[in-house]
Amino acid sequence: MYKPRKPYDLSYTHFVGSWAWLLHRLSGLALIFYLCLHVWVIHTLTLGPESFNKLMAFLTSPLFRILEAGLWGVILYHAFNGVRVIIVDFFGGSLAQKKLFFVLIAVAFLLWAAGSAVIIGHIH
Amino acid sequence: MPGKNYRETSRRGGMLWLLQRVSAVVIFVLLIIHYVTYHFIGDGTITYDRIIAKMASPWFNLAQILFLVTALFHGLNGVWMVTEDYIHQRAPRLVLAAILLLLGLLLLYGGTSTVLNAGYPGGVSQ
Repeated sequence: MYKPRKPYDLSYTHFVGSWAWLLHRLSGLALIFYLCLHVWVIHTLTLGPESFNKLMAFLTSPLFRILEAGLWGVILYHAFNGVRVIIVDFFGGSLAQKKLFFVLIAVAFLLWAAGSAVIIGHIH
Repeated sequence: MPGKNYRETSRRGGMLWLLQRVSAVVIFVLLIIHYVTYHFIGDGTITYDRIIAKMASPWFNLAQILFLVTALFHGLNGVWMVTEDYIHQRAPRLVLAAILLLLGLLLLYGGTSTVLNAGYPGGVSQ
């Protein structure tokens, strides 16, 4: 039976793809954890305006704005590496996978910077 | 695992692989809409009245529920795909599948009831 030695394998000499794969998994796990919290928290909408507005005042405090910018970064990494996965899987992009990684991550970074500026600008 | 029906499991795995990519494309589009409408338009304050006003549109709510379903599927199937690489015995896999399925149904119920009941404290009784 196949016995994995490590939960990951980054031993390939040109390991952009391995790192991208590992980060994709980790960011995905972080995002499903966040989604569970998000669905649960938003459920306070059914409790009426007072409970919801009180909770949102807390969750839009400066600390949570910074966490929000971090979340935006995790989402963008996962989304744009996901675009790379789809290009590789369906559009024959495997030979260009490293180039695709750097180009798409550069786009993601620009969107992260722009979005984070908006999010941090929401700190009152 | 002797006697295991590999053809069936590989077919199911292939289907989950494909659905993971299809749901990814749907989420990519819906997440842009979600982010722009909720977080990037306006001054960033999130109030009850603002959210309820958005939820007056049935098309918006339909998109929200589609977003919920695809995101839950993609996320929980993702957890399944990750753990499949490390858990090889049948029993813990079944336990994990049951937990993920229950968690998915719970969050689907919670999220859908938010969309349907928001704006009606105490529930939709009309």
